Amino acid sequence: MSVNQFCNTISEQLNTGILILDIEFNIVEWNRFLEIHAHKETSEVIGKNVFTVFPELPKRWFERKLSSVIQLNTQSFCSWEQRHHLFELSHTRPITTDSHFMAQNCTFLPIESDSKVSHISILIEDVTDVCHYQSKLNKALEELSKANRIDGLTQVFNRKHWEECLDKEFSRARRYDHGLALIMFDLDHFKRLNDTYGHQCGDAVLIETAQKIKSLLRLCDQFGRYGGEEFAAILPETDLVGATDVAERIRKEIEKSVIKYQDKTIQISSSVGVATISKNNKRYEDLISNADVALYEAKASGRNKVCVANNIEYTLE
Amino acid sequence: MNKLNFTEDQQDCLQEIINVAMGQASDQLARYLDTFVYLKVPSIEQVSSKYLSDTINSEAQSVAVVSQGFFGYEGIRGEALLMYQPKDSDRLADLLGYEPDELSVEEQIIDLSSILTTTFLNVFASQINNQMSYSAPRLLFSSNSENKTSSQSSISEHIEHQSFNWDVALKVKITYQVTDYSFNCDMVLLIPESAIINIAAVIDRILEEY
Repeated sequence: MSVNQFCNTISEQLNTGILILDIEFNIVEWNRFLEIHAHKETSEVIGKNVFTVFPELPKRWFERKLSSVIQLNTQSFCSWEQRHHLFELSHTRPITTDSHFMAQNCTFLPIESDSKVSHISILIEDVTDVCHYQSKLNKALEELSKANRIDGLTQVFNRKHWEECLDKEFSRARRYDHGLALIMFDLDHFKRLNDTYGHQCGDAVLIETAQKIKSLLRLCDQFGRYGGEEFAAILPETDLVGATDVAERIRKEIEKSVIKYQDKTIQISSSVGVATISKNNKRYEDLISNADVALYEAKASGRNKVCVANNIEYTLE
Repeated sequence: MNKLNFTEDQQDCLQEIINVAMGQASDQLARYLDTFVYLKVPSIEQVSSKYLSDTINSEAQSVAVVSQGFFGYEGIRGEALLMYQPKDSDRLADLLGYEPDELSVEEQIIDLSSILTTTFLNVFASQINNQMSYSAPRLLFSSNSENKTSSQSSISEHIEHQSFNWDVALKVKITYQVTDYSFNCDMVLLIPESAIINIAAVIDRILEEY
């Protein structure tokens, strides 16, 4: 067998597509892999323009891509991660994946003759398998990262993620001298509720109340479960008046709403503390402390009310 | 930042080869991109794997990093890292001659990286009578990336999370500037320890020929 015959035999059996174009983008040669997966007769393809045979190709993009190969005389790549496929080809896992066409990694290679690029060789690898598993992995990672952010019971942000959000919002507000408000909610006599009706009932109240509060906030507000029956909301670009307004509205809604658990109807109220960022707040924890003090005041002065942090340090200035 | 284990002659020679390659590459790029491409005089130094993330981080708070492996004859091989800063990607599609809706920002960054890397290294290779092959460029990190995990917020973190099987590498940093598009990016070529000796051998051969 001559070297040429070897090459022919191998290229016909290769599980990679080989497509040779001239610099006018006419198909000069292709291998068996492409003939089979494109499901077209070789005799009807050779000599034809690549856009005629594969009308699905993004023409302008493809031309520009190949022009870089020709002009710079260098190879170029196209990964399934950016473009799932260029050519609409069938693949080898039609049963066990949901991919309609073969996911592809394509390599564009210049072929020189007389020190000028005369042809372009396009290598097309079937990566449907890789694509399938990577997509599954991405989905799993996404679920993991969600589980890492979300409180399992109430489906709002968990403490850790909520604090990270506050940290970011706090730095941003300080840097650009923007407003930032914090509201902390605590459900009144929650322990008594648990003792009277059981923990499952307490859980139901937490779930419903969290959803209620969330529905009353803006999209840009960040809401999380701070601890047991304590919730907290970050309100960017909000002043004390605005935040107190929101807090009061939410307090009223919680007081009004009736939660049904099995055959019981339960009513609950909340104590609320509001604080806004001041020049003296060096760390986001200062803001939490201020809101906490206000919350304690609301509790101590009879519950079911909103109290505002008076920014003691600020008035001392 | 260690001094190279190269002699002064070797270092001058390498610097000269790179300078010539930069000149030709910038010429080719200017013609292809139809705008003036300015390449800043490169820095050549040795970095240890321990300080790689420091070195890279001190240069830029990169928002996207693309890696592309290169390999040629005589054991010349390494990895090219292309590093982009936030404002760099605004007009990339325009620069590359695409319509913005024809390709995603990530694809633009990968495409440009590949062009910059291969154009420079092809010329570099021909200077030392070599020929390069390349792996497909890969986006290592992007702050735009949808599947980024929230714990990775910078390239240095990305690199810190890896353990390396090399101790020192030869680092060549070239800054590309396209003033018409107010675009900048850094190309960092990292040649692992085992390949440095091969580079030195090639340089010695060239020095002998002169």
